[in-house]
Amino acid sequence: MIHDSIIRERLVTGDKTAADVTRDISRPILNQPSSAWKIGFTLSLVFLGIFGVSLFWTVWTGIGVWNINKSVMWGWDITNFVFWVGIGHAGTLISAVLLLFRQKWRMSINRSAEAMTIFAVVCAAMFPVFHMGRVWVGYWALPLPNAFGSLWVNFNSPLLWDVFAISTYFTVSLLFWYIGMIPDIATIRDKVKTKTAKYWYNFFSMGWTGSTRSWARYELVSLILAGISTPLVLSVHTIVSADFATSVIPGWHTTIFPPYFVAGAIFSGFGMVATLLVVARKVMNYENYITIGHLEAMTKIIMVTGTLVGIAYLTEFFIAWYSVVEYEQYAFINRATGPYWWAYWSMMSCNLIAPQVFWFKWARTTPWFIFIMSIVVNVGMWFERFVIIVTSLHRDYLPSSWVMYSGSLTEVGLFLGTFGIFFTCFFLFAKFLPVINMSEVKTILRNRE
Amino acid sequence: MGLVDKNLSLRNRGKMLVGVWEDEDALLSASQAIMDKGIHIHDVFTPYPVHGLDRIIGVKRSRLARVAFLCGLTGLSLMFLMIWYMYVKDWPVNVGNKPVRFSPSWIPVMFEGTILCTAYGMGIFFFLRSRMLHGIKNDLLDERQTDDRMIMTIETCEGMDEQGLINLMKEKGAVETREFHNGVQTVI
Repeated sequence: MIHDSIIRERLVTGDKTAADVTRDISRPILNQPSSAWKIGFTLSLVFLGIFGVSLFWTVWTGIGVWNINKSVMWGWDITNFVFWVGIGHAGTLISAVLLLFRQKWRMSINRSAEAMTIFAVVCAAMFPVFHMGRVWVGYWALPLPNAFGSLWVNFNSPLLWDVFAISTYFTVSLLFWYIGMIPDIATIRDKVKTKTAKYWYNFFSMGWTGSTRSWARYELVSLILAGISTPLVLSVHTIVSADFATSVIPGWHTTIFPPYFVAGAIFSGFGMVATLLVVARKVMNYENYITIGHLEAMTKIIMVTGTLVGIAYLTEFFIAWYSVVEYEQYAFINRATGPYWWAYWSMMSCNLIAPQVFWFKWARTTPWFIFIMSIVVNVGMWFERFVIIVTSLHRDYLPSSWVMYSGSLTEVGLFLGTFGIFFTCFFLFAKFLPVINMSEVKTILRNRE
Repeated sequence: MGLVDKNLSLRNRGKMLVGVWEDEDALLSASQAIMDKGIHIHDVFTPYPVHGLDRIIGVKRSRLARVAFLCGLTGLSLMFLMIWYMYVKDWPVNVGNKPVRFSPSWIPVMFEGTILCTAYGMGIFFFLRSRMLHGIKNDLLDERQTDDRMIMTIETCEGMDEQGLINLMKEKGAVETREFHNGVQTVI
């Protein structure tokens, strides 16, 4: 027997029917764009323009327009790369891990989180690719037969593992996102009126009719994709952390990096999901689908992962002391009290201290406050990567190599510009594709146990 | 057995009875009642997955999981062979006099290749088996079957008590019953 639960809060409020779900979610697609959408999209295009100009200047003049130097050879670029990859991970975690754990609250937010993953990985990929300097020989990173004396790529290098990890992650996430969207594209196909729209939605719906046989296979495929995406997402950020951890730079050469990076990725990713959804639910009138309950669940994850990251920061300090390696000890004392102390303490206060406010119910259930906190989390996580990269590099083993580093205007432009890429893609997604997974949400309209 | 599931096409079929439901509980109990009478339900089209329906109408468990496993094994082997060829066979590089053979540093790339082949191999087989292709013409019986209606199709055969079946469908909550023949639907 199936009963309606009287204990659990409803995941979708407002007594919606399946037809209501279709109507509400497809409204932005079927109607003319709202003025909020137009303003947001224009603003995103401005930032996209900034990216274009900064990128053109970088490629045209050369990597010298960045302030990176012989000691601090990674600066804003790799900081931004790790920042965006981290943000991307929440999408997979929401879709895959929460699917494996049968968390039904993921159903209203997984689609936009997966979209976020894809756009964030695109933003991330820009940085290592253009950091190569001569981007036109970027294909050298691939194991292709060549005329350089059969030189192959170096499979011992985490940088090469990254090439495989990020490209696999991007393509598999794209497949996961697309397969998950097919039934909804079919729903839109059967709603749109214009010929062009009908053609394209029909093209991408791949003839979906909602047959029980197809649903049975679809659910199995989703489950397996979730099953393989979970180790994939862990491997990707583990490999990103290995870019640092396999080196012999004090502050980087630590075994705690993989779990610490993965926790940080979940933390920052949920921060970004919260930023997007607090706004989207208001602007797009999705408050019945993305409820306060959803926001509260996300804040709890933010708090837990923030604390995990904080513990990692403290563990690093402890291990530096315990190891009796003077270089390690210096690296960490220098982080907290050296010339970049402000970055370190920004990181500490944003990532460890600030999320503790989510112990209070008011903080977890007030959308505007969650929005501010989500920005704080992302600022903190950007600083985390900046601290790891720059503070470890600016003090080399030889004091004669000690330098200071700050991002040039072009580097700042590239970073701000990636927000242009991200939000342009996100606004287009919100206009042309269903932001909430309609077919899944329809299964939780009744509060079943 | 062909790769494409032929059950999914509604073309070139005999006369079919079509029942339309609005409620999934009513649909589940109707499906059970019809199957109990020994009548084979051809398919049910729903806007969202109705759990348990596949078992009631006798849809066999998909073997895509095995396909995924085999694709994964293929990916793993291909990546191993690739690295072995490049590193051991074609151009061994002496790094600190370390032996040129399999080492744990091969694992990340092999792992990523495994995941890639599993995902795409399974995805391709899923599309093939489910008769899904970009731009293919769909066999929709009702535009609302992707919105909020659930459509059951039953192939008629000689000696079938069609009126009795229609009555059973209505009794079990069907909001509409139709006949589908040669691409034309008539409400009955």
